[in-house]
Amino acid sequence: MTNSNVASIEMVHLVKRFGNFTAVDDLSLTVEPGEIFGLLGPNGSGKTTTVNMISGLSAPTSGQVHVMGHDLRTQTRQVRQILGSVPQETALYEELSAWTNLDFHADLFGIPSQEKKARIESMLDLVGLTDRKDSRVSDYSGGMKRRLALARALLHDPQLVYLDEPTLGVDVQSRRAIWDYILALRQQGKTVLITTNYLEEAQELCSRIAIIDHGRLVALDTPEELKQQFGGSVVEIETVEPFGMLAELRALPGIKDAQLEDQFLKVTTQSGTNVVPQVINLAAQCCEIRDINIREPNLDEVFLHLTGTALRD
Amino acid sequence: MFNELGYQLRVVWACAKKDFQAALTDRLFTVLSLFVPVNLLILMSLFVLAGSNAPTAVVMEDQGPYAQAFYQAMSQAHSFRLQITSAAEAEHLITAGQTVAVVTIPTDFDARVKQNQPVQVDVKINNLNTDFTNDIRRAIPLSITSFYAKAFPNLVSVSVQEHDLYIHDTDYIPYLGVSILVIALMMGGLLQSGTAAAKEWENQTIKELLLSPASRWAITVGKMLGSFILSLGSTIIVLLVLIVFVGVVPENWGEVLGFTLLSLVIFNTVGTLLGTAIKTRQPVIALSIGISLPLFFLSGAFGPISFSTPVLQIIAKIFPVYYQIVVLQHAFHGFALNTYGLWGNTLILVGYAVVLIILMAAALQRATVSH
Repeated sequence: MTNSNVASIEMVHLVKRFGNFTAVDDLSLTVEPGEIFGLLGPNGSGKTTTVNMISGLSAPTSGQVHVMGHDLRTQTRQVRQILGSVPQETALYEELSAWTNLDFHADLFGIPSQEKKARIESMLDLVGLTDRKDSRVSDYSGGMKRRLALARALLHDPQLVYLDEPTLGVDVQSRRAIWDYILALRQQGKTVLITTNYLEEAQELCSRIAIIDHGRLVALDTPEELKQQFGGSVVEIETVEPFGMLAELRALPGIKDAQLEDQFLKVTTQSGTNVVPQVINLAAQCCEIRDINIREPNLDEVFLHLTGTALRD
Repeated sequence: MFNELGYQLRVVWACAKKDFQAALTDRLFTVLSLFVPVNLLILMSLFVLAGSNAPTAVVMEDQGPYAQAFYQAMSQAHSFRLQITSAAEAEHLITAGQTVAVVTIPTDFDARVKQNQPVQVDVKINNLNTDFTNDIRRAIPLSITSFYAKAFPNLVSVSVQEHDLYIHDTDYIPYLGVSILVIALMMGGLLQSGTAAAKEWENQTIKELLLSPASRWAITVGKMLGSFILSLGSTIIVLLVLIVFVGVVPENWGEVLGFTLLSLVIFNTVGTLLGTAIKTRQPVIALSIGISLPLFFLSGAFGPISFSTPVLQIIAKIFPVYYQIVVLQHAFHGFALNTYGLWGNTLILVGYAVVLIILMAAALQRATVSH
């Protein structure tokens, strides 16, 4: 049934309401096979509700979800078999060992008994937990739990893996390791859907990003395109005394935005223009420059621009 | 593959094994759950023992044969816990609240009885508790009648000719012990299965179950089987205490086994349903106890519900506990507490089990997570 021409996930006019509160509001998007797709949004924006609907954990109020061509309403079992999930709270049995958790998962997903042991060993090896396989999960660090949850999600060899906030509360070293595992999944041809509110993570991992806010799709594109849409360059100038020619600066052709805060001037240029030398000249005419920094816009700025709020608010 | 019975059975066993393993890691809770029903058995037995006989001091101012016979009649009245004391000691006991009554058999008891003269037996009662007081008020005249019937059979022309419905009497403790077995099954089953189900939601591990392609039926049955095995532990302990220490030996072992297992199925299903609906352990524990105790008192635990008021009888028959007490009393003592017959009561219980299992599977089928 599933083939590479069929979208991994197709959401059409998806709506989820809890009483009067609309958590997901007319969301339509498509995740292509083999891509790492990021759902970005601040806390409470509807990311987890969306993935819960994709996995069948929560029923949509209206709209449709197809996973690898399967209609989620009528082919829930097939969807669950091809989906590997790492929920935000990992959903591991903390009082049991890593091995027992994986063994239970293998039974739930009907992994053939003769393959079970080898698969569990292989997954534990992949996430570097072989030497701790008999320890209780409650004794694991946050990073180890995430790795184990990932191993469990991959145990039944799913075609689509979703990870809900995969590095939430994880130390830097474990975060890097988890990113490597996720990137390796793409090389294996698997489709990965991640939700995150770490823009750095989305930029590092995702081929495309959907930004959602208040349950609505705000933007959908590659990280590079999103940044391009925001602007060409960001020029940050620190002057000795406050910059006094803001109106003249804003009047320059190719200036998208200019913000002044005490001695700090931040100018965003439109993409495809070369107005940066003029900005620096104007600043030099007005004041003594202490520091200049020219860089690409980052996703935080894109997000702030699109939603009017910082991502971790 | 998913329709294969083997796969579903594997899921059932995996869920049961997992819950069993998880319970074993939480040893304190498991041990407490095992012993709560036994604790209840001991508690109720103490309650009954404490309330069955009134402590009574007897001052024997006359030691003659009639006085001794009167004392014997009192001791066989099943109402007193007699203690022979001096007058001073008896006064001290009743003043200190350590005895309910002081019965004084006067010095001229034998002489007056022999001369067929009236005898005044002085009874001093601590009427602090009317339950005990009325026991004394009823039992003293009964003792006098018994005394006369034995001492002067020719003088007492009215006698009782008793025809027993059953070949032997069933004492209060053996009757109550069986009822306590039912409440022990209920509390153990509700606690084990309720907390096991609620824990899945509390720890969010329910997602592991709901995200799997396994059928909700298999998961439901598996979880119930796990709790069933654990509840069986407390059931065996209560049965052992009941049989070995209380001395209640079943008349029909097969019925005991069958009805105990059927009751466990019912209570484990109710518990799983509660845990799935409430989703947190603390209220499940409170509710398990809160449900068990009123149903215990309501369902004919202390005596046949048919002796109770019509309203109470109707209410009792709504709940399976009533039928469980009926069938288990039959299993242990061989008597029938209602007119439905053993098969009728069994069918009603099987009906409860089937409906509850369907409800449970439907609840899990509809279960979703909020977010």
